[in-house]
Amino acid sequence: MNQQGEGGRQDLRVLLQFCRADRRYEPLAALRVRYVVEGLTDDQPRAVEHSVLWYTEGKGEEDMGVHFFERLTERASLPPEAAAGTFTTLLPPSPLSYEGVIVKIRWCARVRLFFSGGRDFVSEYVFEMGRIPPARPPRAGDA
Amino acid sequence: MKLPRFFAKKRGHRRTGSQVWGSFGDGLFHAVLLGAGVVFGGLLASGVAVPEWRINHDFLPTSCTVVAKGLERHVTLSAPGRAEPTWQPCLRVRYEVAGIRRESWTRPSAGAATADRTLALTRLSSWRLGEQLPGWYDPSDVSRVVLERGYNWWMWLLALLLPGALLAFGGAGVVRSVRRWGKSEERRAAPSRLSGILDPLAGGPAQAPDHPGVPAGDDQVNSPGTQLRYRLPIESPENWTLLGFGLFAVLWNAILILLAVGAGLDLLGGRTDWLLIGLLVPFACVGVAGIVVFVRGLVLATAVGTTQLEISAHPLRPGGTYDVLLAQGGVGRFASLEATLELEEQATFRQGTDTRTEKLTVWRQPLQAWQDLQVTAGQRFEGRAVVSLPANAMHSFASEHNYVRWSIVVRGAPAGWPSFTRVFPVVVFPGVDGEGTPPSGRLSEAAP
Amino acid sequence: MTAITAPNMIVNPFATRFTRPGRLVPLDATGRPLDVGVVVESLRAAGGRAAIVGPHGTGKTTLLLALADRLAAAGRLAGVVRVRSWLDAAGLWRRIIVTRHGATLCVDGWEQLGPLAWMTAALARGRGCGLVVTSHREPGLPVLVRSEGSLPLLAALVASVPSHGDLIRDADVADAHRRHGGNLRESLYDLYDRFESRCR
Repeated sequence: MNQQGEGGRQDLRVLLQFCRADRRYEPLAALRVRYVVEGLTDDQPRAVEHSVLWYTEGKGEEDMGVHFFERLTERASLPPEAAAGTFTTLLPPSPLSYEGVIVKIRWCARVRLFFSGGRDFVSEYVFEMGRIPPARPPRAGDA
Repeated sequence: MKLPRFFAKKRGHRRTGSQVWGSFGDGLFHAVLLGAGVVFGGLLASGVAVPEWRINHDFLPTSCTVVAKGLERHVTLSAPGRAEPTWQPCLRVRYEVAGIRRESWTRPSAGAATADRTLALTRLSSWRLGEQLPGWYDPSDVSRVVLERGYNWWMWLLALLLPGALLAFGGAGVVRSVRRWGKSEERRAAPSRLSGILDPLAGGPAQAPDHPGVPAGDDQVNSPGTQLRYRLPIESPENWTLLGFGLFAVLWNAILILLAVGAGLDLLGGRTDWLLIGLLVPFACVGVAGIVVFVRGLVLATAVGTTQLEISAHPLRPGGTYDVLLAQGGVGRFASLEATLELEEQATFRQGTDTRTEKLTVWRQPLQAWQDLQVTAGQRFEGRAVVSLPANAMHSFASEHNYVRWSIVVRGAPAGWPSFTRVFPVVVFPGVDGEGTPPSGRLSEAAP
Repeated sequence: MTAITAPNMIVNPFATRFTRPGRLVPLDATGRPLDVGVVVESLRAAGGRAAIVGPHGTGKTTLLLALADRLAAAGRLAGVVRVRSWLDAAGLWRRIIVTRHGATLCVDGWEQLGPLAWMTAALARGRGCGLVVTSHREPGLPVLVRSEGSLPLLAALVASVPSHGDLIRDADVADAHRRHGGNLRESLYDLYDRFESRCR
């Protein structure tokens, strides 16, 4: 799902497509992402960043670990000259996606477009790595 | 034209504004520190370090003869409008440079400047006219000669430490600010060659190599077991509490003793300080209470005896099975002793000015339980259990504010004493090791 | 909001990423959005130095960050500093020293400075630096806003986070508010736990 930018970029969308339709991966598997930028106006991006990272969610501060990062600034590799982009990485063995109760670990791929004036637009797609079942809150009577 | 924002704001997953100016003040401050370090270091180097080095390396040896001596008078402003003279012993020495006889005044380091003229004269009297002394002259300025060489190590330390600290702190801060300037959070968080240098104390626990997010687990394999491979370290809050009480009792009673001695001396001297005596009463109450609490805790900890846990292999992996040996010391009867395997989540959030940490046990598996044990002196109780991790168990995880922790928890109920809980952390690695087979840690099979 | 991609994935709308200061819009005691522009004008009328006062978990930091955003848009923000103890005073002084005249520094946790607070305020006054601070008690500065937790405010916050799919009812909100004595933050944590226990 795209993230809306501010001001006049309401129509801007960055659509990500994963090599696995269900977006469920095993550790050490290859992750390939293809993305398309739609709705660009006269304001063209000056740079684009691709990243694959994990972050925590829950009751604590959000921590983050970046596994893959690259930044493109060459005109030929930026939209609209390059209508689509791709990036590939080999996923690490950890940390696995985890649906805990007060701590959750999420993996995602992000594409961030940078415009003049220091403004940016980010699109994030969550995927799953590993097959850890969700934890559940303790119930009364649990051992 | 829109001005850049000083503050970047994030609403949900939308990010507005600019990070460009966000760290400007921080970078400016560190730049000032860096500049101060450069200036200070330059002054120290040019004024002290370089001249001293030249004396020891460039100056050439000669033999000096004392031909005259005297006091050099300096006037210094000790207070606004108030000038005071200081006296510096000086020697006029005769020496030869390339066969040419020369004479020059020099200040021996043993005769430091002083405001006391009599003292200066006394120092001057330690040299005799006609006395032969070794000396060294500056080949680039033969009129300059010194009578001592060597290094003031403290001055070199000062020259290195103070400007060095300013340069390091300021320089690292400037580089860090520049690196972070206008960068996205992914780019800032992406590892780089400089990350470890610039942020050696960056938050986050030590991680296992090749397994990001998984704690290293070095502590668990530091101590060999007597029967199984490793003896696990204990993480018990009661030990830290006991240590805290002990330190408090020592410090508080040390202060109490000092105050009591002071009051006693006053009394012996015929003075009665009622305020001090009045303070002693509540201080003594707190001090005695501290000792009582500490001693009670110590008795509890030692009377109940230590608990030790050994394991056949570490780290653990999902689907693996491991032997565990529980050893309980002490003297007396235990109504029950049980060991469980537990998975706990921990999340820390900084809310306003408070730090809130919450822990939650999300999974618990009983390993073994013993009832009605009798432990005798010199004969500890030993019990065995088997840990079987589910194949889809979550691995251990540690980041700066969030943790997923596995532990073997031992709970005991000694008769006549309060029950205790002792926690032995273990590290579980992810199940996939590249070969698809979770290793087993049982002694009956080959250990990895 | 992040897309839900995996069947196992549960987005708890009361997670800190949605409820931390700066993520929520500041509201008044009736639950209506607070006009930050009016607060900025009040700050100007108070001479550029004032405080947001209130007990724990009542939205002080949220309002402070909203003010900071507004000041930044006007080019008058010097920075936002979080103070955890009096040891942070030195860092705060350095920020004041490098702040240009007329800019405003936002300080979260003013009461943590203890006896150093008056010195800090004097330094800021001498440097011509504006101050907006949060404090649990009267800080010796004009009071800009007194924050307090209320049930309508909590209900409005719940309505503003991502959808909870009707797993949280009005009675839950009222119960959380009652149990935590108006502390909005603890109430939101309470609702987090309720959501987790019901969504699995």
